[in-house]
Amino acid sequence: MSSIVIKLENLTKKFRNLTAVNNVNLEVHKGETVGLVGPNGAGKTTTIKLIAKLLRPTSGRILINTNHGVLQDLSEISRTITQMGFLIDIPAFYDMTAYQLLKFYAKLQNYPKDKIDNRINELLDLFKLLEWKNEKVKTFSKGMRQKLGIIQAIIHEPEIIILDEPQTGLDPKARINIRKYIRELQKQGKTIFVASHMLYEISEVCDKIALINYGSIIAFDTIDNLEIGLKTKELNCQLLDPIPLGNLGFLVDKLIEKLEPFLDQNLDPNISKIPVIYNAKNQGIKIFYDGTKNSRGQILKTLVKEFESDFTVISFTQPKTSQLERIYSQLITENNTQIKTNKRR
Amino acid sequence: MEILDSINLMIKPILHTINFELKKQRKKFVIFLIISIVILLLISLLPYALIPDTPLPDTQIEYFNGGVSFLPLTILFAACFFFSGIICSEFSEKTGYIIFPKINKYKLIVGKYFGNLILITTIIAINYLVLGLLGVFSYGELVDIRLYISFGITLFYILAISSFVTVFSSMLKSVNMTIVATILILLIGFNIVSSLTTLANPHLEPIYSLTYISNLIASVLNEVFPKIRYTEITQEDFTFRTWLTPTIGTGIIVLAIYTLSCFILAALLFKRKQI
Repeated sequence: MSSIVIKLENLTKKFRNLTAVNNVNLEVHKGETVGLVGPNGAGKTTTIKLIAKLLRPTSGRILINTNHGVLQDLSEISRTITQMGFLIDIPAFYDMTAYQLLKFYAKLQNYPKDKIDNRINELLDLFKLLEWKNEKVKTFSKGMRQKLGIIQAIIHEPEIIILDEPQTGLDPKARINIRKYIRELQKQGKTIFVASHMLYEISEVCDKIALINYGSIIAFDTIDNLEIGLKTKELNCQLLDPIPLGNLGFLVDKLIEKLEPFLDQNLDPNISKIPVIYNAKNQGIKIFYDGTKNSRGQILKTLVKEFESDFTVISFTQPKTSQLERIYSQLITENNTQIKTNKRR
Repeated sequence: MEILDSINLMIKPILHTINFELKKQRKKFVIFLIISIVILLLISLLPYALIPDTPLPDTQIEYFNGGVSFLPLTILFAACFFFSGIICSEFSEKTGYIIFPKINKYKLIVGKYFGNLILITTIIAINYLVLGLLGVFSYGELVDIRLYISFGITLFYILAISSFVTVFSSMLKSVNMTIVATILILLIGFNIVSSLTTLANPHLEPIYSLTYISNLIASVLNEVFPKIRYTEITQEDFTFRTWLTPTIGTGIIVLAIYTLSCFILAALLFKRKQI
């Protein structure tokens, strides 16, 4: 197993009566991309602020793999750790040009002087900000500032990159670019820790997910492993042509009948009342199945063979995002119920 | 070699911060420089040049005395405007989220402090230079040595005032609050307290007051300095004393104490402050 680069040990942060981070234990290994997901006020930003030493923990400790390759208690490290890059909250900058700011940040992080200009140009170009290089940041839009925030976090090519809501304020194209860039960083073996509300973004780039609620980590695993504990699994089939309305009732009944052995027998009525749903708008069939690989294969076979004359399946996928949304929703609900029960006791 | 490397690593971020601060405050610097030079010219040149039959003071030293009289006020305002945001703006404007993980807080404050100090010192040095040149041209003699002494005291005063404002910047939440609070204390607060203490005990010299210590800047250019340090009015049993100026030694010691204690306090408060 690869070495641990960030280790949170019983980390707790209290603000008077409020416990923002509650006994958090977490290990991030070298080269991993870990997503920190949770509702507003769950403690995501506070956790990141603690790692960035912007806040002091009430108890517990943070261990960081320093430049010497040894895990060290963050509170005992007096110097700044140059192999880490942070984007925290909505970035706010001094009233200077993008170039002046980035040059200053790169110098502070000991980036080789002769490479600074090239690095600034390369990143500004990548994030489509090159023509704004000599403009003052106060003239930038929110999205442009967010991009600049990401650039400042990675300008010195850190080994560990910690991003808090990196997609905030960005247009879809910029989001795609950032996803691409995160994947590029993953290929380079960087360790990335991302906090976000955007489950899709997280599911697209993260190897592991830590779900945080009321300051506590309620789950920490890969999406696949988290799914195992999930009662309902979902499959999406895209059809070539829409199903004629006259045939719809008959076809749905036939689908339920033929796929019956593989469907979810304990489907939560809050999710859906029937295990097969046709969505006319996007010409898709949603199937709630038992979650086994074998059933997934059998469902595909059945759809292709038994329904050859009824419709043509053009795609057959297990959507990561909706799975993640469900995991998220289920775990958070369970946790909230547990907290309420404990309070009553 | 290793020691040199570690010194280099320690000093470099401070130097980068100073350099950055100089660029960041450039606009403010130019505005303050222009305003202060205009005031200096209004006081030291225009009355003699524009108003007919206005005689120059008898001696160059008297001329300088009039010229530097407004400098404590210029320093006060400059310090308030340059130093008020030195710490609190990192929190109120949230720029600290980016800068704090990159640099040790002590190095950041040292860098910002010296950056702004260089700017204010430059403004005041240019004022002294212009005043010195005017004195040389007006009186046809070399600059009196006491102008250099006055400049030396001014440097100590700049250090003390800057540290004083920095403490407020580390305690208060916004730049505007810091400006208002420091101006009120330095312009009014110290004067009220020193008036009250002098009333209670006329022999008690208000050396704790930065406003009183600042009188030294002009007083050293006074012909009678240091012979007359206070004026006194006595009526029956009541004596009212107005303290005019401290001695050079007292002034420098007080300013040095203010500088060190305020700076250390500001740095400690800054280190403890969480964003």
